[in-house]
Amino acid sequence: MADANLPASGPASGETSRRSFLRTSAVLASGIAALAASLAPLRELTDYTAVEKFFQKHYKELTPDEMKQVLERIAREVEKQYQVRPHVRDYKPLDGVEFVYCLNLTRCIGCRKCVHACVAENNQSRDPEIQYIRVLKMPHGSLDVEKADHNYAPASVPEKGFFYMPVQCQQCKNPPCVKVCPVRATWQESDGITVIDYDWCIGCRYCEAACPYFARRFNWTKPSIPKERLNPEMSYLGNRPRRQGVMEKCHFCIQRTRAGRYPACLEVCPAGARKFGNVLDPESEVAYILRTKRVFIQLKEEVGTSPRFFYYFDV
Amino acid sequence: MTEAAKGQWVLSLLSLSFLGLGVAFWSDLWGHTAKSPPIPLLDTNFISTATARMSAADLVKSGGDTSDFDCYACHERNKPLKLKLNDDGDVVVPKEHENIVMAHGRHHRNNNCFNCHDETNLELLQTRDGRHLKIVESPALCGSCHGPTYRDWEAGVHGRTSGYWKRELGAIDRKVCTSCHNPHAPAFPSRQPAPGPHPLHPLSLSARPAEPGEK
Repeated sequence: MADANLPASGPASGETSRRSFLRTSAVLASGIAALAASLAPLRELTDYTAVEKFFQKHYKELTPDEMKQVLERIAREVEKQYQVRPHVRDYKPLDGVEFVYCLNLTRCIGCRKCVHACVAENNQSRDPEIQYIRVLKMPHGSLDVEKADHNYAPASVPEKGFFYMPVQCQQCKNPPCVKVCPVRATWQESDGITVIDYDWCIGCRYCEAACPYFARRFNWTKPSIPKERLNPEMSYLGNRPRRQGVMEKCHFCIQRTRAGRYPACLEVCPAGARKFGNVLDPESEVAYILRTKRVFIQLKEEVGTSPRFFYYFDV
Repeated sequence: MTEAAKGQWVLSLLSLSFLGLGVAFWSDLWGHTAKSPPIPLLDTNFISTATARMSAADLVKSGGDTSDFDCYACHERNKPLKLKLNDDGDVVVPKEHENIVMAHGRHHRNNNCFNCHDETNLELLQTRDGRHLKIVESPALCGSCHGPTYRDWEAGVHGRTSGYWKRELGAIDRKVCTSCHNPHAPAFPSRQPAPGPHPLHPLSLSARPAEPGEK
């Protein structure tokens, strides 16, 4: 009989029939196809994290040679993305310098020029928008941030009956943001500036939650800066372009102030309300203010952060 | 149903759903979240470091039009000037000087041109203690009345500065009184504020509580 030559209808024990093999392969192949397709967003990924960036050490562990390579890599990445060759440097704190900022609330007219000079200087993302300085408008006779408004948009400022209080990173002597960082990606330098290593930050936003001044900003999406608005004078801890998923904040324009210059927000202030300098130098403007002006407000003094940012009034 | 038939069903269902998912992922069926309207680029005037106005010294330095300071192009030398006063005792600003708004000081107390200008030489300024100063030396004139402010300005604490805080590395650029204040109407002018923070959600603007004094 021919029956004996027919293949067995089910697989013999331990063997794979042609049919079940084909069936399993079909499922496997479609599964793999689905997996590949689900990874399709990766097609849009253009800036693959370089291997060298992956193995890069913490800022404080980098030797000068390694830092040189890192700066070169950053310059390469920026040039690739913006077609602008930047000048990236790593500015170290100056000896015998402790920076202090003083802001005269009597002079501030609330024009927000500082906000935008900062954005232009520090290569913040324009869309989505990131601003380090928030100007609070408060009614005269109180200093209650609960009553403050930062969305004011009158035809002209200052408005009668209000004063304006720009708030940015206060560069605290006792910074709560540094304490909470689980990876030590943010720390206080010897000149008083609290800095962030954008390559070390894991984006957990603990520091944002810890800051009592709402000074820290998170890059929720990929930052975008128009090429023609990019500031090519960059520093590692300062204004080099950030990537998605890292924190950033005011760093007293590290690339300017550590080179001896005034911060961008100070130079643009039309009212001359902002004063900056080395408080350890008795000849400096800030030392003069702290010596002679009478009223100082360290914002939220009671929380014990001891800001290096002083608000004062005069006549 | 036998075990083999059951397996066949499950496997074919699985492969169908995988294929469906594959097609869906590839064709981006869900799409991306809707994009919010783009944020317009900032008007670069808002980041200009120019001062509120130009002082005579700035004008000379930049090579601008200084004809306004050439008094004797119109006035006659050695001819004493007579001020015209109205019934309130305020100076009547002549037509030739109609760009001048007399708004220096309160209660009409500083309404005499020759409180600051020298009546014998119009190109000079005079302080109340009798010093004669050139137009570009005006800070000393301002300081002769505004002592505490002048002291602060000398210390670098009042007014505009730019350049280098560390003098060994570079020069500091100090602006003079008239770079920001109009000497005839010195109150600092109000101006249009730069755009505020962009609301993440259109509602965040309308939902904010009305402020005191706001309609």
